Amino acid sequence: MARQAAFGRLIILPTLAILFIFRFLPMLQAIYLSFTRYDLVHAPRFIGVANFIDLMRDPLFLNAVRVSFTYVTCSVIPVLPLSLGLAILFNRSLVLKNMLRSAVFMPVVMPAVVMAVVWTFMYEQDGVINTILGWLNIDPVPWLRSSATALWAVILIGIWRATPYYMVIFLAGLQAIPGDYYAAARIDGANAWQVFRHITLPLIRPTTLLVIVMNVIVAIKVFAVPTIMTQGGPADSTRVLPLFIYQTAFEFFDMGHAAAMSVFLFAAVMAFSFIQVRIFTQREDSQ
Amino acid sequence: MTTRARKGRLGWLRRRRGACLAFATLVGVSVITLLPFYWMFSSSLRTMDTMFSLPIQWIPNPPNWGSYLRAWHAQDFGRYFVNSAVVSVSITIGNLLLCSLAGYSLTKFSYRWRGTAFILILSTMMLPLEVTMVPLFLIIKRLDWLNSYQGLVVPFLVDGFGVFLMRQYMLSIPTDLLNAARIDGASEFRIFWMIVVPLSKPALVALAVFTFREAWDMYIWPLIIITRDSLRTLPLGISLFMSSYGTAWDQLMAVAVLGTLPMILLFFFLQRAFIQGIASTGIKE
Amino acid sequence: MKSISIGRRSAMAGGAMLSLLPPGLARAASPEAFPKEPVTIEIWWHEYGPMTAYVKELIEAYKKVRPNVTVHPVITSSGDINQKLTVGLATGTGPHIMDQDASFYELYFLKGVLEPLILPVFDAKSYDEIIAHYTPGGLDAATFQGKIYALPYQGNSMSLFLSNKAFAAAGLDPEKDAPKTWDDVKALGPKLKKVQNRRTVQKAFDFPYHSPRWEVQCFQPLVEQFGGRILSADGKRAYVSTPEAVKAMSLWRDVTKVTGDPRTTLNTPSNPNQDFIDGRTAMWITGPWATSQIRQSRIGDDFTVVSLPQVNPAKPHTILYGWMWGVNKAKPEAEKIVAWDFVRFMLAKPAEWLEKVAFFQPVKGLDATATAQHFPFFSVHMRDIETGTWYIRSEYTNEITQAIGRAIERVIYDGADPKASLDQAQAEVNRVLKA
Repeated sequence: MARQAAFGRLIILPTLAILFIFRFLPMLQAIYLSFTRYDLVHAPRFIGVANFIDLMRDPLFLNAVRVSFTYVTCSVIPVLPLSLGLAILFNRSLVLKNMLRSAVFMPVVMPAVVMAVVWTFMYEQDGVINTILGWLNIDPVPWLRSSATALWAVILIGIWRATPYYMVIFLAGLQAIPGDYYAAARIDGANAWQVFRHITLPLIRPTTLLVIVMNVIVAIKVFAVPTIMTQGGPADSTRVLPLFIYQTAFEFFDMGHAAAMSVFLFAAVMAFSFIQVRIFTQREDSQ
Repeated sequence: MTTRARKGRLGWLRRRRGACLAFATLVGVSVITLLPFYWMFSSSLRTMDTMFSLPIQWIPNPPNWGSYLRAWHAQDFGRYFVNSAVVSVSITIGNLLLCSLAGYSLTKFSYRWRGTAFILILSTMMLPLEVTMVPLFLIIKRLDWLNSYQGLVVPFLVDGFGVFLMRQYMLSIPTDLLNAARIDGASEFRIFWMIVVPLSKPALVALAVFTFREAWDMYIWPLIIITRDSLRTLPLGISLFMSSYGTAWDQLMAVAVLGTLPMILLFFFLQRAFIQGIASTGIKE
Repeated sequence: MKSISIGRRSAMAGGAMLSLLPPGLARAASPEAFPKEPVTIEIWWHEYGPMTAYVKELIEAYKKVRPNVTVHPVITSSGDINQKLTVGLATGTGPHIMDQDASFYELYFLKGVLEPLILPVFDAKSYDEIIAHYTPGGLDAATFQGKIYALPYQGNSMSLFLSNKAFAAAGLDPEKDAPKTWDDVKALGPKLKKVQNRRTVQKAFDFPYHSPRWEVQCFQPLVEQFGGRILSADGKRAYVSTPEAVKAMSLWRDVTKVTGDPRTTLNTPSNPNQDFIDGRTAMWITGPWATSQIRQSRIGDDFTVVSLPQVNPAKPHTILYGWMWGVNKAKPEAEKIVAWDFVRFMLAKPAEWLEKVAFFQPVKGLDATATAQHFPFFSVHMRDIETGTWYIRSEYTNEITQAIGRAIERVIYDGADPKASLDQAQAEVNRVLKA
């Protein structure tokens, strides 16, 4: 038993070593910097929690938090039914199934920089998307050129890219459900919805948890797409927190505030993940 | 057409209604997922003059293949490709190995500090690189790894995200199976290699796709630690086409197509493994 | 003899002049101070095809003059150079010679990362001698507390480019009917703006919206044309919501209403002139550097350039912005001498920069060169450069730029009231300046 535990410890060591040196140390440093005034050139000066107090009064920071919150909720929530729905459609026999699955998966492989440039083209006033809307007699939408629509344009891309990835993870979860369960349900005369509600959904709960947590962590760090497509505009409507952190650090030379914002972000994600895991495990316990 | 024939066809339709609906939906979704790819490709074949012509030109006529040649020769893309491939493959292999080992350790062994280790690992994926970049840069500088493959690869050999993914997946591997193997006298490493890894295939493939994409996409980090042209990666080469004085969109789109191709190829190979992996495991939750 | 060469003298080889350095000046001043052992210096610049080709040419030429010096170039896309430079400066891994937008240099100076120009390298006894070679105010953005800390290789103004084709199609003459005032621009709106099926297919004129920096490049001269200014003389205060600024903003909005359609634009930070090149706008404000791109497009030579429209043409106010070379203070003395020497060498031939890269250096005497006489509308650009004020320079340039950019976008895209929007920007700016 002891030897077994030793093996368990041994195989996690390289991971811990690498993460400690290259992630944890910089992270501790960043946390320290959040309590300092640091302009990247002169040595950091300790100033206590002043950066945090200042942030709470900074309308630009609060706006970035609001934008990020909207981005995360609106890009994560639709992905759940969409990716699960697609997975269910693929989890049956179909003509040309492999081809369709490849086609649907494609957004995952497009590099972020490329994606941002191509979608910028497509979102133009006379671009592909407005042309297609025109066929449906819908007036052109000023996608990236209006603070009312720009964030939604960015969110749509997030959904476009995330859905297929999580679809595959759901598909793996679905295929792991034994066929007997469905057969039994059918004999009991359950309809499709009941099967979904009482068999599929409970059995893929661990997958759902994984998808939500992964998706939130990816979404909350979104950076390349808004940076390339809108630089946070128009009128700050797409300035997500990571972009604001980046600008604060490298354009405003204010690493102290940037680090404080990051610590805030860090705490938010940690809290969210913790609550998510808690909710899901509790429900399992109560069953 | 006779009534009976029509009835027969309608009956078939009714029976197959679900499949037809699913098929139609998926075709529709495919159009949405493929449209940007088509647009990227067709833009790469437009000339600068027709790039934004109105009404939009769905099929470039005549196609301008010259953009590929010009773009390829504008920078040392052969070299950038090799660099990106070396970096991405190394990072992907590292993650597959280390994340699955760590995930295995976190699920199937009990020892002190296991929970703490997991929390620490999780916490490392929550801070954006923008903030940890300067401290990380200083560590790499102290190791004398600026302008090197090590500097590009080693910090990313394992990722908290990957460990989390593998751990969640491995929770569903039945411990009894492992214990049975132990009773049969299999060594711990053999159990990992012969039982755990094959059972984790779907998760490993999902991890491979994700890691490879992130490594292939890696941008800010190589940007700041590389100052030798011979070590540039592909995204840095692509970014050189975006100039504030005016961009050669045709060439930019051409390199975008070339830069996306390896990802597409990789995925096609992995998809087969992925599906087989799922089919062969038959994991019970 | 001055070794900073300008105008007609620019034809002279930099190396030949350097041998004339007077001996015996203090500290690093003597020619003996120029290292004789092998030295490697690194220079970073932002990618622009013609410029990269030319600077690489200069590096080759310098090898012949200074065989013991190796110059290592690092080329980064313009969107990324700031990030790379910032990390480099913060970690002591930056280059010897840096390339940065002029508006950053005040910040760099205040952070103490810049080495002032080493006078003996330029065979000069005072900074005034150097300044004398430049257009009035041409080195303002590089001069701090009496010393020069950077030299521009590119000084731009914003002038008005007209599409001859669009003018002819509207029965107008691009020479005779060219606007001189903003009222003229407005008057041309209905004649040059074309709308089909509720879609704007050709704008008469449009302000830039693809980046806050471009927005301020247009907004700053507007404020000055109304008699205001954005920054106090010491750069410590910003006046974003003065009556002049509100007038500027209202003018911006009113002109846009008649002439433009901000939602129909293909301009992006990496292609700021796309609308004009594609014939979607008849008049466009941009810098002289755009000339080469426009000539290579389907417009060819079929364009006219006139001075930036004014509120009062008798008292013109224009903008000056550009990019400058600076030297990193953190490097050893000997290498800094080499670095400044290479900067001097690079800038020695302004006419070549004009010919090969289409960049204007804000120097006197450039107009007398043959290249200038062949450069389309050279005198218009030079006049706008000479009446130009450098882009706002403050420790907080980036924050102020963004605040103004947001204010403009609120007014144009969201229909906000100019005064209210600028008041908000002023509050944002005050918050930063107080910190």
